[in-house]
Amino acid sequence: MTDLNDRPAPTVESQELSDLLVRVGQSQDRSAFRALFDHFGPRIRAFLIQRRVVPAMADDLTQDVMLTIWRRASSFDPSRAAASTWIYTIARNQHIDQYRKTQRASRMDETDPSLQPVPAAAADDLCEQAEAADSVGVALESLSADQRQVVELAFTEGLTHSEIAERLNLPLGTVKSRIRLALGKLKTSLGELV
Amino acid sequence: MTQRGHVLDDAWYLGYAAGSLASEAETVLVQSHVELNADAQDRVAGLDRIGGLLLDRMPVGEALPFSADELLDMLDQDDGRDLGDPGSAEATAVPAALDGVDLPPALARYLAGSSARMKWEFLGPGLRKSILWRGKDGTRLWLLKAQPGVSIPHHGHSGSELTLVLKGSFWDGDQEYRRGDVEEAHEDIAHDIRIGMDGECVCLALTRGKLRFGNPLLTAFQTFTGL
Repeated sequence: MTDLNDRPAPTVESQELSDLLVRVGQSQDRSAFRALFDHFGPRIRAFLIQRRVVPAMADDLTQDVMLTIWRRASSFDPSRAAASTWIYTIARNQHIDQYRKTQRASRMDETDPSLQPVPAAAADDLCEQAEAADSVGVALESLSADQRQVVELAFTEGLTHSEIAERLNLPLGTVKSRIRLALGKLKTSLGELV
Repeated sequence: MTQRGHVLDDAWYLGYAAGSLASEAETVLVQSHVELNADAQDRVAGLDRIGGLLLDRMPVGEALPFSADELLDMLDQDDGRDLGDPGSAEATAVPAALDGVDLPPALARYLAGSSARMKWEFLGPGLRKSILWRGKDGTRLWLLKAQPGVSIPHHGHSGSELTLVLKGSFWDGDQEYRRGDVEEAHEDIAHDIRIGMDGECVCLALTRGKLRFGNPLLTAFQTFTGL
């Protein structure tokens, strides 16, 4: 597992990513799409590889996620979510979907609520969510090492509660209470940003 | 907001946001709950931001074997309509057995994708069940339909149970559960469930392990109904 603190800080500012995504949505701006591709493409692939998706499949899924970003960019509302959050939910849902398809023959898919049409944003909201994305990092770093570990194992390795308990050699109840503490703390710090 | 039990333990929201729940049945139940419950949506929205941050901070590995321009060319040729989007706009037919129940999209898609035809079976006076899925470890995803005012007598669980209200309401002791609310029942905690008087109640439940009734007659009855 990679500790959060060892990871590079984002190279492109959240506000900039959000602007790029808005340009793709509003005017099908190809250079904006290329910039989003350069930033998120390799990260989506790395995320999937870390989730134990085989490389060829990770390539295919990354391609699908990028195509979906292009097609649905007009439903992105910068006052409601940061670009990275919006793209994360697409990647997660397509990953779950793919996982399911390989698990069983019949199909089923995921539509994420963030992609439903939403009313246009008030102009003064536009910057807030992008700034908030950077504050999530601060909130995460305010957790104790134990608390951050359970959150990260779920997100980065996709472990279930029981798998986390097994990995850390802890009773399930302890894992659940760590998750509760972590999320309680995050709620307090994230709540102020909404 | 009235005082009532209506949301899940945070571990479930973390699992849902991280895409790491243990089974499709868990995902369907938790996602249906999130779709119907504003508090659950808030919790998941906060966690999605953590997902976004972790994605943004992902160490970048190998270069991709395709370029942005290749994708843009594909989109030009195809008009982009069918690419990269696994059937999100797919129409879903609601089973006739669920007429009058406003299904959350996740459950509607699950039922549409399931090959088995849904039907109600007798469970007890005023109670019907429909099993949707059985897991290897005795886990089952099922629907319960109950008439107003019906009581489900004192029972415990040998495993855990999640119950999501889709229509109507029920009470467990002095806690009320309405549409979108979910009750998480743990091992060895006894329940007395009473269906609300505001019409029939339909719930989606995920049960692990047998129900345990205090009354031996009901245990015999349980053998008969297969719950």
